[in-house]
Amino acid sequence: MTRTFLAALLAVSLGSAPTVARAEVPVMIRIIKGSRQGPPSVDPRLEDLRRQLSPLAYQRWEQVTDEQRDLSRGKTEFVKIPDGEQIGVTLVERRGDTVTIEVAITSRNTQTRLTVEKGQRIVHQVTGEKAGAAYFLTVRALP
Amino acid sequence: MKDCVRFAPMLEAREGELASEEAAALRAHLDGCARCRAAQADLEATDGLVAEALMARANARDFAPFVDQVMARVGQGEPGRTGLLAWFTLHRRAALAWAVPFVAAAAVLMYVRRDGGPRQIAQLEVNAEGDATMVLETSDGPVVLLDEHS
Repeated sequence: MTRTFLAALLAVSLGSAPTVARAEVPVMIRIIKGSRQGPPSVDPRLEDLRRQLSPLAYQRWEQVTDEQRDLSRGKTEFVKIPDGEQIGVTLVERRGDTVTIEVAITSRNTQTRLTVEKGQRIVHQVTGEKAGAAYFLTVRALP
Repeated sequence: MKDCVRFAPMLEAREGELASEEAAALRAHLDGCARCRAAQADLEATDGLVAEALMARANARDFAPFVDQVMARVGQGEPGRTGLLAWFTLHRRAALAWAVPFVAAAAVLMYVRRDGGPRQIAQLEVNAEGDATMVLETSDGPVVLLDEHS
């Protein structure tokens, strides 16, 4: 009986250890550009974003950059966009299958905090529209 | 003698079993026949002994719980209840054993459906000084737009 209890306790500890020990959340961050001008098209690499982008007025979508980052709680990762600005991405909280991420646009004094489930994607406009085009940042926490 | 043969079966008759004419004829015969009177007396004595013996045996038996036993059997089940409900009532353990896997499967199904269904934003918090933003909620995640007029 005692052995069984200890074995079960050990199994639970081993099972939960990786979750407790890992403090970083891997995320995929992309910079994409939406344009009102030009023929309607969607970059094939953005096919998974098509549904999320369809309500927007931009008809042409291109991927600019794509990279994986590991976010640590409270630590801000900066992502550079083509117009020279840097966007801050911070992991605020991670709880089970949900993560809270803050996107900060310094030039606009804007911070947006969103809680989503892992696998969901945050699409955040990071620049104003210029010449019919604007840049967006997408963040997806990898499950 | 001939009358004795005729009246002999009547000697064992109980009160009320003979018609009035037969009873009157039997009384008239017994008044004149000592032999039949003696036979009737023997029969009455025998009857008494048998009755006493039967009564003694009946008294020896305890009928006190009889009513309770009958009422208990009456209350054990409603006669006529048949079907699945009756089976479940009588075999609760077996019914429970059958129900547990179904309940467990339903619980798993609900959990899977809850996890696999359309996902919603758990919480949205927007903090923008001087800028107004618009948020579109989609099943794949939120889309945050900047106010173009700022």
